Amino acid sequence: MDEIEESKPLSGLPTRKARVIGGREIDFDGEGFFRNADDWSAEIAEMLARESGLADLVETHWRVIRFMRDYYANYGRAPMNRHLKEGIGMSLMEIEGLFPGGIRAGARRLAGLPNPKACM
Amino acid sequence: MPGDLIYLDNAATTYPKPRPVLDRMIDIYGRQGVSPGRGSYDLAVEAEELAGAARSKLARFFKCPDPDRVIFAGNATDALNLVIQGLIRPGDHVVSTRLEHNSVLRPLYHLRQQGRIDYDLASFDGQGFIDPAEIGRLIRADTRMVIVNHASNVLGTVQPVAEIGRVCADRGVPLIIDAAQSAGVIPIDMSAWQVGAVAFTGHKSLFGPSGIGGLAVSPELEIQITRFGGTGIDSHSLTHTPTFPHRLEAGTLNLLGVIGLSLGLDFLEAEGIEVIHRREMELLARLRDGLAGLPGIRLYGVEDLSRHVGLMMVNVEGIDPEDVGAILDADFDIAVRVGLHCAPLVHESLGTAPRGGVRFSLGPFNRVEEIDRTIAAMRLIAESGKRSGKPR
Repeated sequence: MDEIEESKPLSGLPTRKARVIGGREIDFDGEGFFRNADDWSAEIAEMLARESGLADLVETHWRVIRFMRDYYANYGRAPMNRHLKEGIGMSLMEIEGLFPGGIRAGARRLAGLPNPKACM
Repeated sequence: MPGDLIYLDNAATTYPKPRPVLDRMIDIYGRQGVSPGRGSYDLAVEAEELAGAARSKLARFFKCPDPDRVIFAGNATDALNLVIQGLIRPGDHVVSTRLEHNSVLRPLYHLRQQGRIDYDLASFDGQGFIDPAEIGRLIRADTRMVIVNHASNVLGTVQPVAEIGRVCADRGVPLIIDAAQSAGVIPIDMSAWQVGAVAFTGHKSLFGPSGIGGLAVSPELEIQITRFGGTGIDSHSLTHTPTFPHRLEAGTLNLLGVIGLSLGLDFLEAEGIEVIHRREMELLARLRDGLAGLPGIRLYGVEDLSRHVGLMMVNVEGIDPEDVGAILDADFDIAVRVGLHCAPLVHESLGTAPRGGVRFSLGPFNRVEEIDRTIAAMRLIAESGKRSGKPR
């Protein structure tokens, strides 16, 4: 019998994971994305970066993160691909290479933007 | 089309639509866009004739013996819901496959969750093909229907529907095919293949607009009415019109969509379905051969292109498919579809869940140089993925 589980990703990842960071309980989704963008802080981003294998967030990383956060604050959504490229002045392939998790699970996640609702 | 965009998402919808189809559709609708079959004035009669002519064209196209059994619906998903909901009875069993789109999986799952039906899904082999014999093994005495995805929207593989039709006919079970990806590129003969119903959409390889699709139903198949309302006839009766096509159509038709679909079929006939398919497959072979030699790129289901439509899926080692899609878009002006493609069980079987893959789906307007640019772009992306050494 084949089963398609409702409300549960095929990977079996939990849809919510709470962590206590700096004395605060922060909600993440199963892939480590902030469930509430307001929970984001630079300190937490640095901690998440270290967990992902990035020892230090240097200025280039912060340029990407700041652009994503500013765009999200202004437009209420993540930047479109071309806006990200033009806004940062780097190719997406370069941005991909900057973060161990790449663009989505790296840059976007560390910037505190929600997990994109693509066809996943 | 904007700029130099290379559009390789034709399995989602063909783009751009042929300009003559769009222009004539608007022109005809502008002149004759009244409610078809609802009035006695000449213009309404003519509008109904437009719909009737489209039914006849579609009946010839699918080799459906009775044009009145061509039902208009919103799209293939809508048509599949019509046939699934209209055929099942409490306690029924359904056979389908792990290649299905959510247009089939979700209605079946919903019905099973309600305790109304049970179902079994046939697996596909390493190349993406269903064995008709397995369908036969899964059919039970209480099986109400078999539903098969004619061409996979993830792998592009074309299933042996004629053989599956024989298996189903031998067991007295109607075969329903989801032709969302095949209608317009693979000639479909529902009579010869002993198919009970074909669900199709208008906006893919039939070159119509989105919002129109339908169901071609065999004269042997009775489908219960699950949607009720005005049909323009028998208005004195509170019982929904039992005769086809009104039996399965309630409310005003999408006449603009019907006109566009009809013109799309004209375009297809003028171009030639075999010509379009051959051209797309030549491009797909070129893409496959170009990608096959690249480091860190994995291809799925493209060993045998003789039973295929013009799409394929790949993954790049070290890079999430969604990121590959974003890079292709922003850095190379190439539009592709990433993720699970609304077909989660295909990816589960392939081991590509939950992140899915990158799908390239070709259309009649793609050119050789676009394929070569795509291969060059993928080479750069694959090399960057290999350099990063990131696990996928």
